Amino acid sequence: MATRQTSRSDPVGAAVRGLPEGTTADARVIRSSWTTIRFANGRITQPHMERSFRVSFRVAEAGRLGTATTGDVTPDGIAAVVRAARSLARVAPVEAKFLGFPGDSPPRPRTVAFSSSTAGLGPEAVTRIAERILSAASERSPGGRVAGVVNVGSDLLRVVNSRGLDRSTRNSAAHASVLVDRPERDPPVSGWSEGAHWDAAHLDAETLGREAGERVATRPPESVPPGNYRVVLRGPAVKDVLEFLSLVGFGGHAEQEGWSCLRKKRGRRIAPEQVHLVDDPRSSSSLPVSIDYEGVAGRPLRLIDHGIAGPAVMDVVTAGRLGRPLTGHALPPESPFGEWGPVPTHLLLAPGDASEEELIRSTRRGLLVTRFHYVRIVDPGRGIITGMTRDGTYRIERGEVVGPVRNLRFTDSVLSVVRGVEQLGRSRRIYSDERGSSAVTCPSLLTKSFRFTSATLF
Amino acid sequence: MSVSEELVDLALDAAQASGIAYADVRLISPQRYLNLAVQDGAASALTSTLSSGLGVRVRTDRAWGFAGTGELTPSAARATARFAVRLARAASRTAPEPLRLTDEKGPKNGRYVTAVRHDPFEVSREEAVALLTAAEKRLHVSPEVKSGVASFQAWDETKTFRSSAGASFRSRIVHVGAGVHATAVRGGMVQRRSAPSSFGGDYRQAGFEFVRGLGLEERAEGVGKEAVQLLDAPACPTGPTTLVLGSSQLALQVHESVGHAVELDRIYGSEAAYAGTSWVTPERIGTLDYGSDLMNVVADATEPGGLGTFGWDDEGVPAQRVPIVRSGTLVGVLSSREAAARLGLEHSGGTARADGPERAPLIRMTNIDLEPGDLSFEEVLEDVEEGVYLETNRSWSIDDKRLNFQFGTEVGHRIVRGELRELVRNPIYSGMTPEFWNSMDAVGDRSTWHLWGVPNCGKGQPSQAARVSHGAPVARFRRVAVRGG
Repeated sequence: MATRQTSRSDPVGAAVRGLPEGTTADARVIRSSWTTIRFANGRITQPHMERSFRVSFRVAEAGRLGTATTGDVTPDGIAAVVRAARSLARVAPVEAKFLGFPGDSPPRPRTVAFSSSTAGLGPEAVTRIAERILSAASERSPGGRVAGVVNVGSDLLRVVNSRGLDRSTRNSAAHASVLVDRPERDPPVSGWSEGAHWDAAHLDAETLGREAGERVATRPPESVPPGNYRVVLRGPAVKDVLEFLSLVGFGGHAEQEGWSCLRKKRGRRIAPEQVHLVDDPRSSSSLPVSIDYEGVAGRPLRLIDHGIAGPAVMDVVTAGRLGRPLTGHALPPESPFGEWGPVPTHLLLAPGDASEEELIRSTRRGLLVTRFHYVRIVDPGRGIITGMTRDGTYRIERGEVVGPVRNLRFTDSVLSVVRGVEQLGRSRRIYSDERGSSAVTCPSLLTKSFRFTSATLF
Repeated sequence: MSVSEELVDLALDAAQASGIAYADVRLISPQRYLNLAVQDGAASALTSTLSSGLGVRVRTDRAWGFAGTGELTPSAARATARFAVRLARAASRTAPEPLRLTDEKGPKNGRYVTAVRHDPFEVSREEAVALLTAAEKRLHVSPEVKSGVASFQAWDETKTFRSSAGASFRSRIVHVGAGVHATAVRGGMVQRRSAPSSFGGDYRQAGFEFVRGLGLEERAEGVGKEAVQLLDAPACPTGPTTLVLGSSQLALQVHESVGHAVELDRIYGSEAAYAGTSWVTPERIGTLDYGSDLMNVVADATEPGGLGTFGWDDEGVPAQRVPIVRSGTLVGVLSSREAAARLGLEHSGGTARADGPERAPLIRMTNIDLEPGDLSFEEVLEDVEEGVYLETNRSWSIDDKRLNFQFGTEVGHRIVRGELRELVRNPIYSGMTPEFWNSMDAVGDRSTWHLWGVPNCGKGQPSQAARVSHGAPVARFRRVAVRGG
């Protein structure tokens, strides 16, 4: 009777505990609720609300792993997902070095910052944030065309496994980005701003709208030749560099498959002393969560320790294959990003002491880059990536921004960018993906050489 | 009436009861996904996903609202409809003028079903995993092959659609795909080789028979060998040269520099803040010189086997074959009901699709094909005194107006006096969209043409991954900037 009650009130936990001897499992219960308000051409165009729920169930039978997910959380649905996972495990090749699932041992997850009011914002309230951005941007740049997005919501994650681990975390997030452009100008010009916070009350809609508006150049951009430039990267551009560094340098699969650009550089200096990059999932300066998707407690991991390259991150599969400890960076096993995972998802780059103006003043001749577009990996072993500048690229002469330039394509190594860091800004902002599942907290920075390989027409 | 149809009607009734101008409801149940991947003799991923959901899209006279849920209950269906209405009403405050849409009849009890000989979800998992294991094993031709992967994916969506205008259809669409790739590493050098293409291979709207026909095990050894050979290959020569693109790379070129550029929502700025806009402007549709006279592109949602083939789009508009580029001139675009009305078209091109029940439809590519010419592969090479032949994408990037692009491929061969010569590594080519397409002076015939599936086309916020296809032959381009990375 007690068992039946348990399986009704907690079918997932009961399923994990009810497996036959020799079969172990972990399960994730993920509940999400998000409102997304997109705006373009000065009006709200795509208001969107989404509520989802899924259970991901992974079993291990004699080192054979199979995963199934379902949105059906009735006892019958859970029984079906267990059968599906087991049927896959039975035909799987053996994962010879599988560690087994982590036990409920220290470190214990810490409580992390969460905003109930953010998680509970209704569609009208989220729409009002978008309206405030629209209004501030339009006021600052009359005649400009305003577009962007506001995302507000929350996720609840519970991980339970057959070694007795049963942990949960919840995260709240509010994210917004805004573009103001003048497509009627030849060439067109644009300005950009973005930010995120775990508490929507700290998402400053007016500042974001105003920043994007005031960054729209009043003069037409001029052409500059491709080549190597000293570059001041604003936060959104730094975010891209750090995210790609974390994929090709600190990703578990990159390490295990031998194509990490840091494979032979761990423990060695790859950047100046002031470059200190930590992945800290529980930091309130990020969008915090207390555990990863295997239930391992998040804790700070020094990826670049004052210039020295740190370790790659691990989940149970990569840790087993490489014989290394878990770091708490597992993604869901069914994740479409499985090719990359595990990866750092809560990056924090330590600030310096310069204002953005001081970074610019330190640049005799160079470029100020607001953000990048369509960044992709060219050669992971050397950390080479490519992408375009976008929405505000300016020429710096004798320590002053002298005007906008047409956008450029860069093709360079992320290692070269961090190696060349000369100064870091003192002010940091949180930049995140649309669902707050990964975040980068970083300042602007000045790097001494950035290789631009071609230019575009605008 | 099935439970699904009852839920659809409940949601539609709840939306209509609020007095809005229009509503449509999509229910997808089941939505299944199977991902089997074997890596280095172990299971990288053996995953099956079963989900369901319902999406309600409503329109006031001024604004859209959309809400989706994964919970298929009567109360969730009604609540989802009410959320959509609240969103639309809130959005209406920012709308200075009414929305205009094309007038579409829509199907009545339409039916569309993928023709499948061997249902990929019924094929035994043992057979599928055995096929992958055998292929993956043959990738490991040398200790320098540090990683080998063989993978198979399948998707299955059964959809019920109804609108307040009386349109209704049901469909079941099945997609499959599979491929192998090997990663060879020596020192800091990493080389990857894939077959039939990168991004997990090739994909088709079909059953498991397509996967069996790919011959992964037969291809695998050659893939492993070429990955290792690339470690010793010279760097691709640098400089402007004649470029011959293989079919799969040209398919991606079409995707990035034509397909996205002709999405009418991008052209009108609706995607400006995220995916970007386009170098195409509305007033130039019909006259814009997009490429050479040899360039003919169609968007064909009726093409057998395409990932962008369907009966009706997610606005209930029928699948169509729309000319995009005719003899080098832009003649058509990809449109939805709203975008088509803004352009003054009588009807939508029928390309509004969502990647699941919880996401709103956007203008997406269907099957965007570069039509074949009349030259054999040998004839395309024949006039090349000195050049390179590149195939299989490795990296891709293009600016937010779809002008400046740079692609890297897994492999290249020098061409000397009309013949393919030695392998070259890390080839990269770049250019500007109109100059590039205008430099195309030879197009391969039907024997060089292949319909490639692209399963990961990203667009929208929240992000949606569309599955689309591109047919492409081999083609030749003059004075293209090529270099070894």
